[in-house]
Amino acid sequence: MIEQLPVLLVVLPIIGGAIPLAASLVSDRAGWPVATLTLIGQAVLAGLLAWTVSTSGTVSYAVGGFAAPYGIELVVDGLSGAVALLVAVVSLGVLAYARQAGPHSGPFYGLYLLLVAGLTGMTVTGDVFNLYVFLEITGLAAYGLVASGRDASAAVAALKYLIIGTVGASLYLLGIGYLLAATGTLNMADLATKLGEMAAYDSTLVLTAFGLMVGGLTVKVALFPLHTWQPDAYANAPDTVSAFISALVSTVSAYALARLLFSVFTVEFLTAVPVARWALVGLACVSIIAGSALAVSQDSVQRMLAYSSVSQFGLVVAGFAIATPLAVVGATVHLLGHAVMKGGLFAATGVIERETGATTVNGYAGMGSRVPLPAFSFAVLSLAMVGVPPAVGFVGKWYIVLGAVNAENWPVVAVLLASTLLTLAYFARLVERLYFAEATIHSEPDEVPVTDGSGQAVSFGMIAVVVIAAALAVALTAAVPELQAMLEDTLPPLLNQ
Amino acid sequence: MSSDERTGLYVESTIIMTTVRVVAPFVLTFALFVMFHGADSPGGGFQGGVIAGSVVMMLAFAYGIDAAREWLDVRVVASLASGGVLTFAAIGLGTILLGGNFLEYHLYEQFISHAIAYGIELVELGIGGIVASVAIGLFFLLAAGFGHAVDAPEDES
Repeated sequence: MIEQLPVLLVVLPIIGGAIPLAASLVSDRAGWPVATLTLIGQAVLAGLLAWTVSTSGTVSYAVGGFAAPYGIELVVDGLSGAVALLVAVVSLGVLAYARQAGPHSGPFYGLYLLLVAGLTGMTVTGDVFNLYVFLEITGLAAYGLVASGRDASAAVAALKYLIIGTVGASLYLLGIGYLLAATGTLNMADLATKLGEMAAYDSTLVLTAFGLMVGGLTVKVALFPLHTWQPDAYANAPDTVSAFISALVSTVSAYALARLLFSVFTVEFLTAVPVARWALVGLACVSIIAGSALAVSQDSVQRMLAYSSVSQFGLVVAGFAIATPLAVVGATVHLLGHAVMKGGLFAATGVIERETGATTVNGYAGMGSRVPLPAFSFAVLSLAMVGVPPAVGFVGKWYIVLGAVNAENWPVVAVLLASTLLTLAYFARLVERLYFAEATIHSEPDEVPVTDGSGQAVSFGMIAVVVIAAALAVALTAAVPELQAMLEDTLPPLLNQ
Repeated sequence: MSSDERTGLYVESTIIMTTVRVVAPFVLTFALFVMFHGADSPGGGFQGGVIAGSVVMMLAFAYGIDAAREWLDVRVVASLASGGVLTFAAIGLGTILLGGNFLEYHLYEQFISHAIAYGIELVELGIGGIVASVAIGLFFLLAAGFGHAVDAPEDES
């Protein structure tokens, strides 16, 4: 049973996703219970899998019994086990939010579970082409979810996302083609040994493949010049979807980028071709600065949060590209922590908008007393994101900076430290408005139209999600040593130093 | 596009209706042929599913989109999609119950001969059902115009 876990983790949400579609013919409200049951099962399985990995090491699985280099292999190590658990837990948490916030249709929950299946598949696969397939499943489900908003703007945002996302996925596919031409294999572990042996690291073929694959994935991660789909998609989707995709979709893409760096191209490649590492680090640094600058200049809170993601993912990618064990642990911690914090922040904006109608930075003025609990959670999550010590945001950034210092990569250290100040710039502005400014919106909630029109009431579940996210943003710090041990058990062969 | 323009698109034609009536069974047979051949030659569920979906589009062109929509129950389309997914999953999980890995077809060999071929063909049929129903669903959604688009985001694949 235990050894079947990787594949069950992918199959379970697919089966769950097929049921709401059929059930929607009988009852309109069947989607939510089915999704909840499925994701509870998913969370249990993911927890079991992460526990197995932390006690007995990497789990690998040959789909269909076909042996590894030819068949599709699923591999779960410390990094993927942690991300798979994050996907299961966050998607279950967002469901508690979705119960009241909607959308309520059966097909919506079908797509929701399909997205969970895609994300989990990207996480557990050990095959570059299989990763592409799951990348497309994730993308298609995400486009559909963004379009499920009732506004015309949601449809436009989804179309933009679809076009840019498809270009990104196609670039990645093209890169796979070049890798296959160079080595004749698609299995990640097999590629790692054959690259450098069958094709020199600095050969044009391998460099092109690296550029295309990394370029394709950075579109999905939404690093600076390639981020243009992301603020529209996050801001125009229904709140449930914003919280879900802002927490997970870019996160899993960044995980895939890390997997590509460490399990396919390996650190030896980054050392042998310094220009590749510098390009990636440079892109990450530009993204950190530009994302923060754009976030500061936003008026809408959701768009500000979206640009903040551009900046934070720059930080994560910089950590992975530095590729010392410490920086990688830091980047992983920040990757997971950012998912919880950003999902919680988007959920909080949804609650505050429903209760008060406030959507802009100025509108948030004085809301600290109007909606104390969501506002307090929002403030805690903001400070955690800035990196105030007890929170998980601090640990991640601290490790990344330490890793950069160890690698004596001083320009990056400077950018990382500046990024904390810049993050403070846009979050402090909001927290200050929340608590110390005169209220600008006085109307009662029922006079205020909610833009996506999906119901106005705020349920206990919605508040609970926001509060739990804020609590987790602090409490996850306690789990960092455990995660570090799990990564150190499985990472050295990847980092290979 | 206004509604009277829309109804004006359909012209009843004996030639087209007769042709479609004769051709449709053959197209559907060809669709099944392509699906069944996915196991060991070019073809498979994706291509076959699209061909099967095109049968419904042909009928819609011949007899009018609204008539076709009424004739083809939405429940059939939805259960084709869900049923396809569940068929695939059941075949995959069955081998786990028999003590193997996911989709390890040869474990069915103990019940029927040529289990690998039959297993792959059933999976292809499942995929065909999903693809056909999605193609049909998208066709009807697009034909319905933008008024209905907001309450049915049915672009699963």
